[in-house]
Amino acid sequence: MKNVIISDSTLRDGSHAISHKLTKEHITAYAKAADAAGIPIVEVGHGNGLGASSLQVGLSLLDDRTMLETARKNLTKSKLGIHVIPGFATIKKDLTMAFELGVDVVRLACHCTEADITERHISFARERGKEVFGVLMMSHMAPKEVLLDEALKMQSYGAEGLIIMDSAGAYLPGDVQSRITHLVSHLNIPVGFHAHNNLGMSIANSVAAVEAGAQIIDASAKGFGAGAGNAQLEVLVAVFEKMGYKTNIDLYKALDAADIVEKEIMDAAPSIKSVSIVSGLAGVFSAFAKHVAIAAKEYNVDPRDIFFELGKRKVVAGQEDIIVEVALALSDKKKRGQHG
Amino acid sequence: MVSKLIDLVKADCEEALASSVSQLEKLKNQKIFITGGTGFVGTWLAEITAFLNDRYHFNTSLLLLSRNIDAYREKAPHLAARKDMELIPMDVRNIVEIPSDVTYIIHAAATPDNRQHVSDPLGVMATITKGTSVLLDSSVKLPGLKKILNISSGQIYGKQGQGSEAIKETFMGAIDCNTITSVYPEAKRYAEALCCAYWSLYKVPAVIARPFAFIGPYQFLDKPWAINNFIRDALNNNTIRIIGNGLPMRSYMYPSDMAFWLLRLLAEGNPGTAYNVGSPEGISLKDLAEKIKQFVGAKSKIDIKNMNEDRSRIIPDVTLCRESLGLTVKVGIDKTLQRSILWFQETGHTR
Amino acid sequence: MNARNNNTKKVKVAILGSGNIGTDLLVKTLRSPYLECSIFIGRNLSSKGMSKALSLNVNVSNQGSDAIIKNPDCCEIVFDATSALSHQHHAKILSGLHKIAIDLTPAKVGHFCIPAINLDECLKYNNINMITCGGQSSIPLAHVIGQTQKQVDYIEVVSTIASKSAGPATRLNLDEYVDTTEKGIMLFSNCKQAKAILNLNPAEPCINMQTTISALVPEPDLVALEKSVNAMVAKIQQYVPNYRLVIPPTYENNRIIMSVKVQGMGDFLPSYAGNLDIINCAAIAVAEEFAKKLTDSRG
Repeated sequence: MKNVIISDSTLRDGSHAISHKLTKEHITAYAKAADAAGIPIVEVGHGNGLGASSLQVGLSLLDDRTMLETARKNLTKSKLGIHVIPGFATIKKDLTMAFELGVDVVRLACHCTEADITERHISFARERGKEVFGVLMMSHMAPKEVLLDEALKMQSYGAEGLIIMDSAGAYLPGDVQSRITHLVSHLNIPVGFHAHNNLGMSIANSVAAVEAGAQIIDASAKGFGAGAGNAQLEVLVAVFEKMGYKTNIDLYKALDAADIVEKEIMDAAPSIKSVSIVSGLAGVFSAFAKHVAIAAKEYNVDPRDIFFELGKRKVVAGQEDIIVEVALALSDKKKRGQHG
Repeated sequence: MVSKLIDLVKADCEEALASSVSQLEKLKNQKIFITGGTGFVGTWLAEITAFLNDRYHFNTSLLLLSRNIDAYREKAPHLAARKDMELIPMDVRNIVEIPSDVTYIIHAAATPDNRQHVSDPLGVMATITKGTSVLLDSSVKLPGLKKILNISSGQIYGKQGQGSEAIKETFMGAIDCNTITSVYPEAKRYAEALCCAYWSLYKVPAVIARPFAFIGPYQFLDKPWAINNFIRDALNNNTIRIIGNGLPMRSYMYPSDMAFWLLRLLAEGNPGTAYNVGSPEGISLKDLAEKIKQFVGAKSKIDIKNMNEDRSRIIPDVTLCRESLGLTVKVGIDKTLQRSILWFQETGHTR
Repeated sequence: MNARNNNTKKVKVAILGSGNIGTDLLVKTLRSPYLECSIFIGRNLSSKGMSKALSLNVNVSNQGSDAIIKNPDCCEIVFDATSALSHQHHAKILSGLHKIAIDLTPAKVGHFCIPAINLDECLKYNNINMITCGGQSSIPLAHVIGQTQKQVDYIEVVSTIASKSAGPATRLNLDEYVDTTEKGIMLFSNCKQAKAILNLNPAEPCINMQTTISALVPEPDLVALEKSVNAMVAKIQQYVPNYRLVIPPTYENNRIIMSVKVQGMGDFLPSYAGNLDIINCAAIAVAEEFAKKLTDSRG
């Protein structure tokens, strides 16, 4: 029987959904429940990872240290994971502290064409005995040959797994099948997939990934994540069971954990709003959604127009400042149009 | 460096040379120019030469080319201070002339760090191709040059199939040149081709060594190779993770054997010929992890994840070295691991 | 054109480092009315930069810092565009020879310099450090925030550069970049806390460098800020012509935000590499100021 490792991003990608306002109570309650359900890896932190709390991508209610300490206390069987983007997080300020707090799994992430910025950090994490996965974000923005090339770099640095993210929720199942197959056939390390639901494809894409040979799948309870949310964890557990894949997760307890998210953490269930569809089609980072909403309101422009313009400019994750620039430009255009 | 460690290395050299010193006769009173003079290979060549000079009065002098002399002085101050070894701060690509009294050359300038191969492929390729080209070109003018040993790589044989035989020098190999992880072996193959061209055109007496894998003193544990990861995790009592099924087979040679083999190739190797340098004694990754755990006395768990189907065997066939040059392996896998572990523990280089 | 005595001689400058940065500096030096490149120094005579220098009739050497040691009269000012490690060596040598060192590496041996802010003060030192590219584009504006606002709790700087403009050395040293830029921001703005972020974007055609500065200021005075920002931008444009404000100082979402785009001059570096160009332009501005001081003192 084939195994699938589900890596839980509820307390990390979910952070985007509530503007990074996770509380100690949220983390405690969910971590306990996830641990009881036997979820292999529980990722915790700001939506953009360690050291990302900022004006650019949103200030976090709790600092990294508090979030990780709280999670660490409540995870005994499950591994504690962190998402790390070089350029946001540094070894000295952030990784060292996280390692002292007893993090188990480090997911080193970058834009899908820039793997060599993770060399130092992957090496550092391996030297400290941590389990390291490489993560390629916004992976729809590069063809599969480029993804493989970047993945080979991360494998050479010592990554023990390679996850591609559909950060914009732009993929269709065929896209996923083609990319995962290509990676699986050329890498020695296991391949993983992280879905977003902007076009309603998160479950189908995750299934396609596993059928193409992926062994690690990211998911969030209730789909609690950026934009239209991630693949819904408890749904995946059920689906994989039905397909004959072993997740080692107790379904009932996973459902209980998901209920906690619904009752105590989420503001609203993730849904595919108009802007989600637009951002998925435009191939823009899902987590821009809240920032775009704020700028659209402030400058009185259509958020969908902002998304399409961002897509045209091929912005990457971390470029939230361009949202303001685009909103301003659209607003100016509108004003000139009104007076013209 | 602690004198205990210096003594251990000396004892290794003594063992490697025992009853075989006469095999290196030709190197007495010679001047050897070594590129990459202060790297892992260069440092061991210096250690064994120091022993030959001190114990057997070989009177062999070394010219060590290096890009980072300060690091060498810190790593091996007892070697850096020797009068029979001159340190030259220079990149191999920038050599203009080699001193005319040089009689032997060992080209060990290389970057075995596979992280560097993918992060700085152009720099790595240039060092290998341009460096080898410049070196061979400069060697043509040397009036007394007797031999030049090019240290190539066992990686030139390409990806190994499942359960392949031990690799003979005649194995053609297959490398997909269209992938980033191939830039290093492709550059090394080109360097071998350069040696062939200079030998054919100018009769430059070039011998090629194809080294496989080594572990021992003066190695650092930072490169993400399986054996480094196992030792490092064992020394820190962390879980030793094996991504696959633990069945892939590798072999590891102790560096004192390596240094002796290389000097023997330099002295008596046949120009225009390639020789595998490495241990023919294969060991599976699973057994390797278990031995390391045992020798360290670690509490580490060994986690075999079974996440890939790799069963490759990368083991050199060393019949050529054994039959034509009488070379043998004096340090078996157990002693290799034990001595290496002791080194890492004593030097505190557990990362 | 400024009125200058026909007899005023240009000050001799050496450039250490024949890579892309050094070569771009060479082209800028040749254009300068105050500087003369007397020697272009690298380690390999057959590099692209060396060929360029020879084609421009500039003296070259592959002897590294030895070229200056052997002929100390060859220059008074030295640009170091080698590496942080090499600069540690060079700094000692150049100090011993009483040269003025302008350091474009992250060695951080010398005094931090932002020409638009502390150029005059830097003339007192013999080793000037040009901080980082993101630093050169953002610190002047961070400084203005510090000068015009009553209290500055936090300043954040996000730079996005074209992937092609970041080579292996930059990519390996991102942490260093973040650390140095943050130090520079705090030094020149007196803010309580600073954060620097760097993004690489692979889009083609390559994007110009964009730097966004945002700040948490409890009682923002946007009128004063806008005036000073415009003045500062004009000052910077004197040595970095294509430095443009694309988001003027704005108060949005409880923060002050402004953004600049820098396009390079395209001397030897491609024009999208505004990040590399701005640090070179700044270095030239510093050298010219030293040169003016030297020629003035000689009467």
